[in-house]
Amino acid sequence: MEYYSPTDLDEAYSLLERYGEDAIPVAGSTFYMGHREELFDEVEAVVDIKKLGLSYIRQDAGGLRIGATTTLNEIFGHDLTRQGPFAILATTVQELNINEVRNMATIGGEVCIAGEVDMPTTLLAYDANIVIGGSKRVREISMADFHIGYLNNALEPGEMVLEVHIPQPPANTGGGFAKFERTAADLPIVNVATRISLDKAGVCTDARVVAGAATRSGVPERSGAAEAALLGQVIDATLIDAAAAASADIECIHDFRVSADIRSLWVKCGIEDALKRAVAAVQQGEQS
Amino acid sequence: MNAIKLNINNEHYDVLVKPHWSLAYVIREKVGLTGTKTGCEMGTCGSCTLLLDGKPIFSCLRMAIDAQGCDIRTIEGVEEENNGELHPLQEAFIQDHGMQCGFCTPGMIIAAKHLLEHNPDPTEREVREAIGGHLCRCGTYIRIVRSILNAAAAMRNSQATQ
Repeated sequence: MEYYSPTDLDEAYSLLERYGEDAIPVAGSTFYMGHREELFDEVEAVVDIKKLGLSYIRQDAGGLRIGATTTLNEIFGHDLTRQGPFAILATTVQELNINEVRNMATIGGEVCIAGEVDMPTTLLAYDANIVIGGSKRVREISMADFHIGYLNNALEPGEMVLEVHIPQPPANTGGGFAKFERTAADLPIVNVATRISLDKAGVCTDARVVAGAATRSGVPERSGAAEAALLGQVIDATLIDAAAAASADIECIHDFRVSADIRSLWVKCGIEDALKRAVAAVQQGEQS
Repeated sequence: MNAIKLNINNEHYDVLVKPHWSLAYVIREKVGLTGTKTGCEMGTCGSCTLLLDGKPIFSCLRMAIDAQGCDIRTIEGVEEENNGELHPLQEAFIQDHGMQCGFCTPGMIIAAKHLLEHNPDPTEREVREAIGGHLCRCGTYIRIVRSILNAAAAMRNSQATQ
């Protein structure tokens, strides 16, 4: 196995291309090192992408752009992600209560893991796009299309994630996040992210209700029924209960950690909490 | 094998490593500093915590080859930094018996040291959050939290009297 630490993108692309499926781009290395035994026979080249200038958080007319190698603690501490319309990102990071991992793990790594992580759930609720680079082209793909199955994403050999792009949400939008796990260091058993937009009369004009880590498909899923229950309505406690109950359209997985029935219950409870938090966020003028 | 240089507690070490070797493994088995413990070796127990460029990380999840050029501080460096005396955190862990078997203690102290450097007067909740990624299989959490809070108070007092 070889280790490379390229200093420009072209060098990184040529390494990823040369090794194809046997290369793994690594930044925080938490996933790779945590799975090094399983991955040992599969990986011929570790390509460290930390020196490519991909650590940044910036806002432009199109929304927020976060470089792939930005760590979770950088997101947690940054003004653009700690407050205002994108505060849900710091809230999501806060739910991973391991300071040491937050100092290492990066947003690019998190989005690549189609499984038990939190950030993709939130990013799906915020209609994020993933910017992917390769020697031939740079392409942008929606979070919804990026995960194609458990631990399987849409990256082709020779490609890597460059950036996460989160569109600017409309005014009067708030987000909420909720999570179930056993301990601070546990992987999520269920996580839920919501985003709601209200008009001046308090009627819900846009809604996202997403559950992750729990689904049978292995990737975060939107509950179409829960979103439909919210749209066009004034959100109150009864409607939140109804929307949470409608989330039964998300099929949960049964495994050694928790049964599908309990997971479905937790998805429902999580949606209730996350919707209440989203409403509170709108009311607090998080969007101002 | 790759020849690398590591800077640990202000000392330079030349070591030969394979790319997948963790920093924790290299520090213990090749450098010989065994204060840093390895428990789970998959990022869930916290016993291998050290400071890398001033930030606490799990050294089992970091490739040693990827720690070149970084300022690495382990539990062995804590006393040294404190002019050869026990650090107030170490004193407090002894005084309040913030351990049973002691295996998690180096990691706990490194995490707590980072907390107190940035927040000299933490609440109990902030202390608990700072050690959120650390397991104590003896279940001594109450005494660990008390040790950290008492160390913080002692450090504030000594600051005030200086």
